[in-house]
Parts: sequence; structure tokens; C-alpha cells
Amino acid sequence: MSPRPEATRIVITGFGSVGSEGCGEQPMRRMFQQPPVLRELDLSSGYHRADSARSAVLVQAESLSEHLAARQARRMSPPSRFAVVAARLAWQQAGLEVGVGGDQTSVVTSTSYGPSSFTESLLRQILLDSPSQASPFLFTEAVANAPAAQIALLLKAQGANITLTQREAGPLLALAKGAAEIRAGRAERVVVAAVEEANPLLHAVLDRFGVLAGSRDSEETARPFDLRRRGFHLGEGALAMVLETEQAALDRGASPFGVVGPWIGAFDSTATRAGYGRGAERLAERLRQGLQRSGLSADDFDLVVSGASGGRDSDRLEARVLRSIWPRHEPDMLPPVFVPKAHTGDHGAGILAGIALGLMGGEACATPGFSESDPALGVIPFAGGRLNKPNRMLVSCLAIGGSAAWLVLESPNL
Amino acid sequence: MAPAMSDTKYEKVAVSGLGAVSAWGWSVDDLWRGLKGGRAAIGEPEQFDITGQRTRLASEVPDCLSDSPWARMTAWRRWSRTDRFAVVAAAEAWNSAGLGQSAGDCGDASAPVVGVFFGGSTAAMWEAETFFSRLTSREPGQQPRIASLASHPLSSPGDAVARHLDVSGPVESVSSACASGALAIGSALDALRHGWVDVAIAGGADSLCRLTYAGFNALRAVDAEPCSPFRKQRAGLSLGEGAGVLVLERESDLQARGGKALGWVLGAGASCDAHHMTAPHPQGVGAARAIRSALNDAGLGADSVDFVNAHGTGTPLNDSAEWKALEAVFGERASRIPVTSTKGLLGHFLGSSGAVEAVATVLCLHHGLIHVTPGRGEIDDALGVDLVVDEMRALSGEPVAVSTSFAFGGSNGAVVLTGRGQA
Repeated sequence: MSPRPEATRIVITGFGSVGSEGCGEQPMRRMFQQPPVLRELDLSSGYHRADSARSAVLVQAESLSEHLAARQARRMSPPSRFAVVAARLAWQQAGLEVGVGGDQTSVVTSTSYGPSSFTESLLRQILLDSPSQASPFLFTEAVANAPAAQIALLLKAQGANITLTQREAGPLLALAKGAAEIRAGRAERVVVAAVEEANPLLHAVLDRFGVLAGSRDSEETARPFDLRRRGFHLGEGALAMVLETEQAALDRGASPFGVVGPWIGAFDSTATRAGYGRGAERLAERLRQGLQRSGLSADDFDLVVSGASGGRDSDRLEARVLRSIWPRHEPDMLPPVFVPKAHTGDHGAGILAGIALGLMGGEACATPGFSESDPALGVIPFAGGRLNKPNRMLVSCLAIGGSAAWLVLESPNL
Repeated sequence: MAPAMSDTKYEKVAVSGLGAVSAWGWSVDDLWRGLKGGRAAIGEPEQFDITGQRTRLASEVPDCLSDSPWARMTAWRRWSRTDRFAVVAAAEAWNSAGLGQSAGDCGDASAPVVGVFFGGSTAAMWEAETFFSRLTSREPGQQPRIASLASHPLSSPGDAVARHLDVSGPVESVSSACASGALAIGSALDALRHGWVDVAIAGGADSLCRLTYAGFNALRAVDAEPCSPFRKQRAGLSLGEGAGVLVLERESDLQARGGKALGWVLGAGASCDAHHMTAPHPQGVGAARAIRSALNDAGLGADSVDFVNAHGTGTPLNDSAEWKALEAVFGERASRIPVTSTKGLLGHFLGSSGAVEAVATVLCLHHGLIHVTPGRGEIDDALGVDLVVDEMRALSGEPVAVSTSFAFGGSNGAVVLTGRGQA
């Protein structure tokens, strides 16, 4: 198939969510109507220190059983289970039949850490028992692309199958990649998913880096953009979307939720391997240039979906970059800045769930954890109430390690 | 054979720089010397204890930079083994492209936008294993160093490259197991064609670690002898490590700055078997689709291809499925197209294999010579493959090659390359 014209509109026709409140649209909406539901992790492995954070925003395993047969679940790592359920729900919402994806269906997933519990189990076998004890099953499901492969098996999706691992920027890059696959004529539709698993080892490691709310005996409350922010909550779950051309969606009677617009990628080379940098000006310049090239300006946006999650440095950088787009606006004159990770914990599916709620419109409570604005940031997050469907939203994700991505999403009616 | 005129609307993308780290050394010159030498660099690894494993072999990168300026850098001590492979290969590629000291544009709007597209599957797993051993140890004095995990995420090698070269454009890390490197090159090609970047640093890096070594042993996918791709007696793969990096630019940009092309990336394709988590589709259906997709992307027919740098792992199922795929794409001509497997010389670099094999393919195209595929025993006559053995084969004109990569989970990638043979 030949490339489609650049102007071809790529739309989102289905969402599927797996999160702390359960699977599907209503549980996802509930997640945004309340503070994050923190659950204590299993600390019995002894990875955590006495002054560690102890909780995360976790998926309840039993919530998956309605959507995934036990015999299937047994053959999957936790992130594969999350991803398969989310993809199935997204596919069904898009009005497509499961199992008939074919060679015109591609899959693009994003994960930061991959199947971490299976990796841990495998390391235990190899390092603490004997290399000969390594389980072939654990090994094949410990690869980062296992969730993408399981989605492909579910849907019989024989197009490209790509897993991106660009930390917090990954979900937006995956959406951009999915749209590019369709635009290039390589796929009729693409399932884009972000998936993450929060297991005790990963939690303990992040805690030792001191990035979690609750690390080093700090208050275990994530406070995005707040003066007293100290860190984020680790979260887990999956969010899948179905992308296709607007024409294809309309031809089969599907209702698009939103249009995937231009994306911008950047890197802050002042960032450390495990932190954020000081390169706000350079990131902002890349963002401004990118928007300008797409003929967009600050006035074109009526919603910002921010990847902020409560980190001291990350939220400062995020605020400085966002403020550069609206340099002369008072904080309360910015478009609403919706912070999904304040509800979902920090993981890729959280930001995609925020996009989903933004495009569908709905109620959200005031940004959890935020009570006192930081004058150095100049950003006041969403105060709660009705999140109206925007004409155009800007989504911003800055990643540990230096990468950054921004994506524009538009109303189908624009 | 000269490539047919492309019917795609995209501008040609040139390879302006190459970098490589392999068991033969930390440079492209080392790689090309090894490829020409044709002797497998697969032996007993020194990095970790392999007692009790099915195989005692791997292709290991020598630690020979301890007296180099690299080793005096503060960052060198912080980087994981994989990060080091990635950065050294990328720096070599960048320098060979003649693009200056670094990619830093300091906010200059007219400066080219440089992006990094990097594949891999292990990142700092080797260092994470040491951390985990210490974390779970009951021995006194075995405190784990948390800093050693800073390079653990799979984005780390690409990020390290971007940081070292002061990149300000997009960075995209791909981890689709053994197809990662090829898929990263495909992403870079897209980014150049759509104008998202002006220069792409595309490649991959992976290092040996106990997890993959024991994992492939557990799958019984490793050969007790050095791997023998496409041979009757093939019994599995040999693991390897290293990096391959290509600097890519649009042809017009390269010409405008007076740069020289070492080759061209004409197209890339991808597919998924959607068949099984580890076994390839026995008929190579998905693999064939990836190759056709890459040729279609390049605007070329199957009759344009002069040689194939095969995935060629040496496992019974993979080589058989790959041959079926080649037959499906090239028809009766399949048995007349020279096929080589870089894995026969250097083992399987996992997530970076597609990248280093793309570098090897560009070198073959550039020098007009196809490297050999060592191995024991006869070529499997059930496959009908025209495997390059014993001596290198000459290429002439502007030959076209396909490099293939197939992964766990059924993810497949293929890249179409060309160059000006000098033989």
C-alpha cells in the first residue's frame, strides 16, 4: 500500500483501561473522581528499608478475571494480562471483532520497566538457585515486548509489532508511531497501548533513588505542582487505544473520540541518568518550534494534559516548559492543566487514561495532593469539576533521563 | 544490480557514518577486518561463571579500552557495559559522518535537528544482576549500590548516546527483543522522511548477561558448538554482544554539506507472526511479510535483491522458517541469491543484532564483498540456500541487500540497503 496523504486524519475510535478501580470506562472515570487509591505492597521479600514508602496504586488481580480466562492468564506475566484486557476492551469499544486483526493491524506498546516481577523471579532462579533452574516460560514472558506479542496473538494482528521503552515519554511516542504507521500506508488500524507493572522490587528500587512520595520517611502523598511536593506514587495498569483513518472509521459507522495531531520530541542533555536536567529553555525552544511548524500557538489549546506526578525536579521542569508557551499569562489564565498521574500514580497508562478522559469529557476531582501553589512554578493544576471536551489539547511528558515528548490531540469536529 | 526507480514519494536516505563494537574490537575497522577474516569470534566468555550451562560459548567484547581516553572520562565509570558499547559506536559513527564535535545546536533554530533511534533488549541487566545478588545476600558487606541501577531502564543506551552527543531532538528506544535494532532503523527512516529530524543516529546495543545466557540455555536454543547457520547439524544460536550505529541523513542534506554516502537505506518493513511467543511461523509467513513490506517501502521488486544478510540464528526452526520466507518472497530465484549470516561469525547480539548486521551489510555493499558464514558440516540441502561459505563473494554495480531480524513474540523487521560496490 502507498503512503497516505500527510493531511490524512488519524482518529481514536476505542479506549480500554485497566486500573486501580477495575477494567473499562466506568472504573477509569471513577479513578479520576477521587484521590489515588493507595494499597500497601507485599513487603515480605525484605527489599524495603525501614524508612521506605510502602504503597502504590495497584490493579486488583481479581478485576481481570471477568475479561481474561484463568487458563490464558496463567500463560502471561502481569503486564501481558493488563495489556491484553485493555486491548480487548479498546477493540470492542471501537466496534471491531476480536481475532480478525490481520496483516493490516499493527501494535505499538510502551513500557518503562517491562515485566518486572517475572524478571525478578527469573533472577531468583538463576542467581539464588542455579542457572539450570531458569524457567523457559518466565524467560519468554520477561521480555519487554511480551505484552505487545500477547495483544497480537489475541487480535491476530499481523502488522508491525513494536515496543517503545522511552520511559515517561514512551506513551506519546507510541501514539505518534501508531499514527505514522497508518499514514505511511503500512496499517489500516493500530492498537497503541501503555502498560506497566508495579512490583515490590521495582518499588523498593525507586524508593532507594528517593523519588517516591514517602521515601526517606517523607509524607506518603504525591503533590503535583504543590510547594510541598516530594515525589510520586508508583502506579500500574494499562490503557489501550485503537487508531485508524477518519474515513475508515466513518465508513464503518464508528464514532471517533479524537484526532491524533502533530508530535514533538526533544532531549535535555543536561539530565542525569536517573534524574531531570536544567535544560528547560532548550526543551521549550523545541516545543515552540514544533508548534510553530504545525501552525499552532498557545491560543489554540483549551486543555493541557500534564505528565507531572509530584517530583520536585520533574514538576519544576514541566512547569517551566509549559510556562514558556504561555509566558505572559497569570497561572489562573492558563488552560486547565489536568494531571492524570495525580490519580493513577506514575505510569504510562496514566497519561493515556488522562487523554481518554479529556477526549470523552467527564468529571474529575480537584488535583489530589495539591493544596499550596509553588510560586516558582506558576502552574495551578485542575481545580476539579467538569472536564469539557477540548477543541485541542496539548499533552506533555518529560522523562527521567532527558527525553521529552509532546502531542497535540484535537476534537473530531475541529 | 542497480535499484529500480523508487515509486515512493520519499527522498533517498543516505548512510553517512558507521560505528561498531564487537568481539573483534571497538571500531568499524575491527569489524570489517573480522568480517573479511571470516573466522568466528566465539569462545568461552570470561565475564561470568557458566558452570552448569548447556553451552560454554559466547562472542564477548574485549575489555581493551582501559588505557584509552574513554576510560578517563567520569561518565565511563558510570555507564553500564551496554551504555559503553552504545556511546563508543555512536561516537565513531558521528565522527565518521563528519558532522562536527557534537549535535548541540544551542537553540539555533537553523541547526539540523538530530534524533536518536536505538534498539536493545538488555540495557544494564548485567549490572542489575550484581545489584540483585547483593540485595538478596545475607553476607556482611554486600551492600547493593543503587547507582549501578541508573542505567537499568531500556532507554538508557539511547539516552546515553543522546547525552554524550548533546542531542536535542527526539530520542526513541525500541525493545522488541531481537528485532529491536532493525525496527529502530525503520523508525529513523520514518523520522527523516517526514522531516521530524534532519540527522538520525540509528542503531542498537546489548551486552551479555546471566539472565539471557541462562534463559536461552533453558529454552535449549543454544548450540554447544559455535553456531552453524543453515547447516544440517545446526543446533542453536551462540550469544554475542556489542553495538552497531548508522548515521542517516536525507540525500540532499548530505550533498549540500559535501558529505559522502557510505550506502543508502532504501526501505524498512515490519510484521508480526501472531502465531507463538517463541516459535516462528513454520512457513515463515510473517517473516516474508516483513521482507515484502520493506521492499515495497523501498519501491523495489523482489528481483532487485542481490544478497540477503539473514537473521540466520542457527536454530533448527528459525533457519527453516527463514528459508521458507525467502522462498515465498523470491520464488525460484531464492536459491540463487547469496545469503550470509553475521551471527555465524559474531553470534546473536539480541536486540542490537539488526543494527550491527545493518552495519555489516553496508560494509559489504560498500566494499563490494559479501562476508562468509562459518559453521560446521554441510549446508542443509532441505533449505536450498546459496550460503556464502569458504570465501567472500564479489558484488558489483549498485547492489541491493536485505537484512532481516526476527524476534520473540513473532515481531519481524527487515531493512533494504544499497551501496556502491568497489570490487
